[in-house]
Amino acid sequence: MRLLATLGGGFRALFRKQEAERDLWDELRSYLEVSVAEKMQSGMSEEQARRAARLELGSAEAIKEEIRAAGWENTLETCWQDARYALRTLRKSPGFTLVAVLTLALGIGANTSLFSIVNTVLLQPLPFKDPSRLMMLFEGLPQIGSPKFPFSTPDFTVFQRGQKSFAAVGAIQDKEFDLSGQGVPDRITGARVSASIFPMLGIAPALGRFFRPEEDLPGRNVAVLSYGLWQRRYGARQNMVGETIELDREPYTVIGVMPQHFVFPLPGPPANAFPAALWVPMAFTPAELQGWGQRYDLSIFARLRPGVTLQQARSEGQALGAAIAAQYPQDILKDFSGARLTLPVFPWHQEVVGPVRPLLLVLMAAVGLVLLIACANVATLLVSRAAARRREIAVRRALGATRARLLRQLLTESLLLALASGGLGLLLAFWGKDMLLALAPADLPLPQNIGIGPGVLLFALAISCLTAILFGLAPAWHTAGTGVQQSLQEGIRTTGRTRHRLQGTFVAVEFGLALVLLIGAGLLIRSFGKLLGTDLGFEPDHVLTMSIPLPKAAYSSASHIRNLYKQLVQRVSNLPGVRNAGMADDLPLLAVVFHTLEIEGRQQVGKPPAVAETWILGNYFQTMRIPLRRGRLFTPQDNQNSQPVVVISQRMARQYWPGQDPVGKRLRQEDNQPWMTVVGVVGDVNDGPVGQERRPHIYIPFLQLSDTLTADNVVGEARSMNLAVRAAGDPAALASAVVTQVHSLDPDLAVADIRTMPEVINSSLAGPRFNTSLLSLFAGFALFLAAIGIYGVLAYAVSQQRHEIGIRMALGARPRHVLRFVLAWGTRLACLGAGFGMVAAIALTRLMKSLLYGVSATDPITFAGVTLLLLLVALLASYIPARRATKVDPMIALRCE
Amino acid sequence: MPEKPADLVQGTLDMLILKTLALEPLHGYGIGLRIQQISRGVFQVNPGSLFPAFRRLERQGLIKAEWRASENNRRAKYYALTDPGRKKLKRETREWETQTAAIARILAASTEEV
Repeated sequence: MRLLATLGGGFRALFRKQEAERDLWDELRSYLEVSVAEKMQSGMSEEQARRAARLELGSAEAIKEEIRAAGWENTLETCWQDARYALRTLRKSPGFTLVAVLTLALGIGANTSLFSIVNTVLLQPLPFKDPSRLMMLFEGLPQIGSPKFPFSTPDFTVFQRGQKSFAAVGAIQDKEFDLSGQGVPDRITGARVSASIFPMLGIAPALGRFFRPEEDLPGRNVAVLSYGLWQRRYGARQNMVGETIELDREPYTVIGVMPQHFVFPLPGPPANAFPAALWVPMAFTPAELQGWGQRYDLSIFARLRPGVTLQQARSEGQALGAAIAAQYPQDILKDFSGARLTLPVFPWHQEVVGPVRPLLLVLMAAVGLVLLIACANVATLLVSRAAARRREIAVRRALGATRARLLRQLLTESLLLALASGGLGLLLAFWGKDMLLALAPADLPLPQNIGIGPGVLLFALAISCLTAILFGLAPAWHTAGTGVQQSLQEGIRTTGRTRHRLQGTFVAVEFGLALVLLIGAGLLIRSFGKLLGTDLGFEPDHVLTMSIPLPKAAYSSASHIRNLYKQLVQRVSNLPGVRNAGMADDLPLLAVVFHTLEIEGRQQVGKPPAVAETWILGNYFQTMRIPLRRGRLFTPQDNQNSQPVVVISQRMARQYWPGQDPVGKRLRQEDNQPWMTVVGVVGDVNDGPVGQERRPHIYIPFLQLSDTLTADNVVGEARSMNLAVRAAGDPAALASAVVTQVHSLDPDLAVADIRTMPEVINSSLAGPRFNTSLLSLFAGFALFLAAIGIYGVLAYAVSQQRHEIGIRMALGARPRHVLRFVLAWGTRLACLGAGFGMVAAIALTRLMKSLLYGVSATDPITFAGVTLLLLLVALLASYIPARRATKVDPMIALRCE
Repeated sequence: MPEKPADLVQGTLDMLILKTLALEPLHGYGIGLRIQQISRGVFQVNPGSLFPAFRRLERQGLIKAEWRASENNRRAKYYALTDPGRKKLKRETREWETQTAAIARILAASTEEV
């Protein structure tokens, strides 16, 4: 009630202001009259009475002011007044306003666009039902350096039967398919998923239904399409459910279509992280179910049972790991070298955001620093402005404005500036967000969900207000505190020391922050340079690559597969413009699977050798120009009928036969496989992404693979060989001729991933390029702002001190003295900032260690170089005002007062 | 030099105005005069604080105002207590009494008790 009455009165006062004023005026007059009458009755003359009454009442205006100041509406009104006043002052200095708004808008825009990504990726839960209870499970042998790797099928089934912590568990596995049947054949990445997966995620299909558990068996060929595939390939036909499509030339019935924004699996985890275009039932084959110790390539998802904690699930994982190991056949178990098998459990969200988290945090910190620098810059501008407004402020104080009142008014001005910048920054963010996403590496999860929603708007508003306080408070405090006496007396000739000290502090802070950013960028640029300069071990120029997968239905026997690939390499080698051609199951930079093997005459002690393994055909080494170091390369005579041979990498030789000649030594993949004789040693090649450590590598002739490995291989690597072609000229120009050769052998084959090797390298560097270019951009912007800042402060100080400089010159100071004086001042500020920046950088760059390659986080070269650059820029920025100072004509300077 | 009239304890002016109006409706000058008279000149109420107090009380709905003719036939704004005002006065009086009694006890305490 009380509140309502107060509010009502307030509104009345706001809207019926005149009426209320008149009423008050009437009342005061009547008060005066009653008072006069009373006094006359007690014997005063009318004149005396009137005078006494007036004295008693005091200033009517003061009373009115006091009454007005009492209500809440008054605060609103003064705010409105302040805002209007601020608007007028800002309009009067459009130059300042423009520079301030643009500077801040860039800072706020950069922060907002990056935050829109951070918000979706790091802060929002995954877009599934009750996502915090969704877990990913791995197998692990922490004692021999493999803390987490994907599951193998038999291990998964043991886990599935034994576990009690989870309400649901399911497995998924990436799988590439030739999609045919309607339209041209297409190579797509799909996924095999357990029937339990979709219900676990709690997402309903947009059309049709999911697999039922009874469909999760071999031969029950059903498929669920992604929205994108349904749109792209099938024109969003409503009657798609029930249609038959061909996957690897086998018929599958479409039973459902997923909703538009459904992405699964999500990128991030180490395996099975490619968003699928369609899903088929996992349907483990009997061979997979019995394949103990063979294929570790299943990703396991599970939903925690209500009431079960992550900790409990983890300890159950320990126990189940032991239970799984107990079921392993003895001969395979010895590969574990006595290490205990565990089943580590991780929240899915952590797995998804893990790889991008450090990157996003570093970038967020960087844009935060940029905004701070922008604030410091605007603050120095405000302090300069305060000088011009010194008299205005002094007059207002003399008229009775309190410091608080002035502070409020000045902060209103800052807030207005910040809000205008925030609005503009938001516009920039819409555009900036798209730019960031275009540059972003592929492992950034959920890019399609990133948008400017209420959370981001709130963030923009919040940082705008924060910015206003950051850049406005110190100058406002300084300005509002100006003493009346001091200001009115202070001529134009002398300038306040505090003002210069304040501005100097801001500039030093700017330089410090800019140094931190520059060092960060410098470190990334240096590591990117190292990445680019890495000797990959092969020559990527002029090499064209493509993947030529063979569908199982059409190529069921090993001889079929061998024949096709052999003929293909033959034909492509004979094409005009082709220097060499070869095939490999894994191309450099793209290998993910590593194998264990056994070396003849060695007891298995400790870690078994883990090596990258590539099956090659044709002149692969010549095509990639991987140099031969010892022995010989494969010849066409190394085929099924000859003795099994192998070529190893230098690192392999060094690691397993140190100081010996490995040629003639023998090794084998598993107990039941034949021994392979080492015939040659080749140079090391980067098999994983650029920057990752190289592993020992063995090369096996494709033609010597056993029939079972070729034809009945679970993953079908032997059916998805990659062709590499070295062109005499432009490799991309060869693509169509090569594809024609493929189709001349089988017109229904899909050719995928047609890329030149430089393109492969490029995409392998997408992540480092993203953070390097962004951080460099931010650092450049920061340096620019800091330079402007130091220039602004010195130019202002020089113009303020013309008089003093004039006197000095009249007294005999040479121009070079003046020049040195101003330059020294600028340099001192920059050095001060650099000193503090260096300390901050040493503390902060440690956080970006995971983003660096081949450079330490406190790389002295980067630190020294960047500091030098910063000081140079400071010197340059100081030089212009310093030059101007030397041009001061003593006579004019003295006369101009 | 005689001592200056005492300043009112913060917040008590509202209570005094309410009390004055509890007897009869009065205009602004009358209220000030009445407070001065009853306190035998201890409290001198300044119009500068009186009028803002009227607005405050009016807005809280504790008093209501009305233009009327005064004793000597001039138009004046008369204030009267409303029902919530009467309740408020009662409550405040009680509270005041409790507090002053407590303070008095403390001040009257002999040294042994302290």
